[in-house]
Amino acid sequence: MPSLKTTRRHLMALLLAMLCAAPATAEIVVQHTRGQTTLPATPKKIVVFDLAALDTLDALGVPVFGVAAGAKPPSLAQYNAPRYRPMGTLWEPDYEAINAAEPDLVVVGGRSGPRYEALAKMAPTIDLSSDPADPLGSELRNIRSLARLFGKEAEAEARIGRIQVGIASIHARAPQAGTALFVLSTGGRLSAFGPGSRFGLIHGALGFRPAATELGAGIHGQPIAFEFIARTDPDWLFVLDRDAAIGVRGQPARQLLDNELVRQTSAWRKGQVVSVDAASWYLAAGGLRALQTTVDQIAAALDGRR
Amino acid sequence: MAPPSLRGVLPVGLVLGLALLVLAAASLLVGVGDVGAPDILLASRVPRTLALVLAGAGMAVAGVIMQLVAQNRFVEPSTAGTAESATLGMLLVTLLAPDAPVMVKMLAATASALAGTILFLRVLRAMPLRDRLTVPLVGIMLGGVVGSASTFIAYRTDMLQFLGTWQAGDFSTVLRGRYELLWLAAILTLVAYGLADRITIAGLGRDAAINLGLDHRRTVAGAVAIVATITAVTIATVGAIPFLGLVVPNLVAMAAGDNLRRSLPLVAASGAGLLLLCDVLGRVVRYPYEIPVGTVMGVVGSALFLVLLLRRDSRHA
Repeated sequence: MPSLKTTRRHLMALLLAMLCAAPATAEIVVQHTRGQTTLPATPKKIVVFDLAALDTLDALGVPVFGVAAGAKPPSLAQYNAPRYRPMGTLWEPDYEAINAAEPDLVVVGGRSGPRYEALAKMAPTIDLSSDPADPLGSELRNIRSLARLFGKEAEAEARIGRIQVGIASIHARAPQAGTALFVLSTGGRLSAFGPGSRFGLIHGALGFRPAATELGAGIHGQPIAFEFIARTDPDWLFVLDRDAAIGVRGQPARQLLDNELVRQTSAWRKGQVVSVDAASWYLAAGGLRALQTTVDQIAAALDGRR
Repeated sequence: MAPPSLRGVLPVGLVLGLALLVLAAASLLVGVGDVGAPDILLASRVPRTLALVLAGAGMAVAGVIMQLVAQNRFVEPSTAGTAESATLGMLLVTLLAPDAPVMVKMLAATASALAGTILFLRVLRAMPLRDRLTVPLVGIMLGGVVGSASTFIAYRTDMLQFLGTWQAGDFSTVLRGRYELLWLAAILTLVAYGLADRITIAGLGRDAAINLGLDHRRTVAGAVAIVATITAVTIATVGAIPFLGLVVPNLVAMAAGDNLRRSLPLVAASGAGLLLLCDVLGRVVRYPYEIPVGTVMGVVGSALFLVLLLRRDSRHA
């Protein structure tokens, strides 16, 4: 809910823009989670606070100026190099640095989504958070928005096409492949995620039948014990090792799950315990490359290729 | 005919023993898995029940020892900086030597807990006024300072969720082969029982204890070492358990007085029973998912604590 003041400021800005409308270049309107942002021209100086967006921009070959510090997927490790200005963290942007940089565009999303209001006061900002009700749809929409902004539609469409073919092929086979359970491990403890949750892709777009039907859509999943895994007895166990994802060496998920109770499950006996690529599921989930990695990995698991 | 030292304790003990058996049976029977399967019982239920008994007894005994040593009813490892210091030790050793065996991590946590507790007792000694509420308040403040240091370090190193697992006791991943460290807490509880008379005398205060011919300094050092180790072992294996060490000794003291030789078995049994009760509740409330026992204990324990605060007359302070 924008305050009256910002609404008034927006109106003023709009009026000003209309008054001195001397469009040397075509304005670009970007639709995003919080409405639309109008940019005077194709942005050159871009600051990115969302790993999915960074993944997409990197895949499309769009150079960025600054990124948030913190854990990165291996494929984006080069962005931790000093030549990319560190701009604070996903949760705590360095407003001073951003203000001083005067970027043409700031991209937030997911973890940094709540900082949209503050950043939008400094620079043109777009929020590319995915929609929990339609994760895959909104992620593809975000990829297309970025592609359109930088004139990379053709390349993006080709890649999205490949992803969609992969998803369709998994979706055709997964329902016959047995039931699946998605668990996340961190600090030696476990939570389970079901359809409609943060990792609901596995049951939604990818079509695996849920082994546990009651799991709600909470962002942090449901805390479970090993007995829960033994009881639901999934044919597929997808495991996300959060500690590995953020580069903390905790107890590896594999080791945590390698116990008497999990070894009884159908998933363990059939060798269908899949350690999902943590970078693609946790860090940059929804990015152009991350989606392809996800599709490739799950397809390989279904084919029995490890 | 019971020996005089046990008079009055026996009926309480019998009731407690019976309650403990019932709760242990409940803990064996409640859970998601099928209890008929031998693996579920032996690999999961029995270890979890044992871990609860050991940790509950250990933390309650740690609480009663702290209360005698600090001569204050409202002190326990989580209101004396002990638990926060142990957690800080765990955090630092995990950052510096992530692949160290759990025994090494636990030793680091013990050393850190020991340092924090000794600091607390030093601060107490330097305080001119030590009424019954300032002492735990000082402990809570000290714990707050240590805890904020941990939080800052964890925030900077992306370890906040790790910190959470040590700060909130949880028995959901206890299995055969993954809780045995807690037997150390049981051994220390027995050692404390051996020192019970000395700790009771130390609880009369330094001057009184020395007049009675007790090596006060050594007794307190031993007692603090026991408390720090029990706390560190518990935090390293299952996480911190709040309020237990505070509530149980006070309830037992109401029923059976302050002689540790008499009350320690009752404290241990009540601690085990209360923790069993909270964990079984945590398994039932959102079945088939879990509520960590630390959370349940926070609710139950704080309610009991309020009852204690409101019902106590100042005579016991």
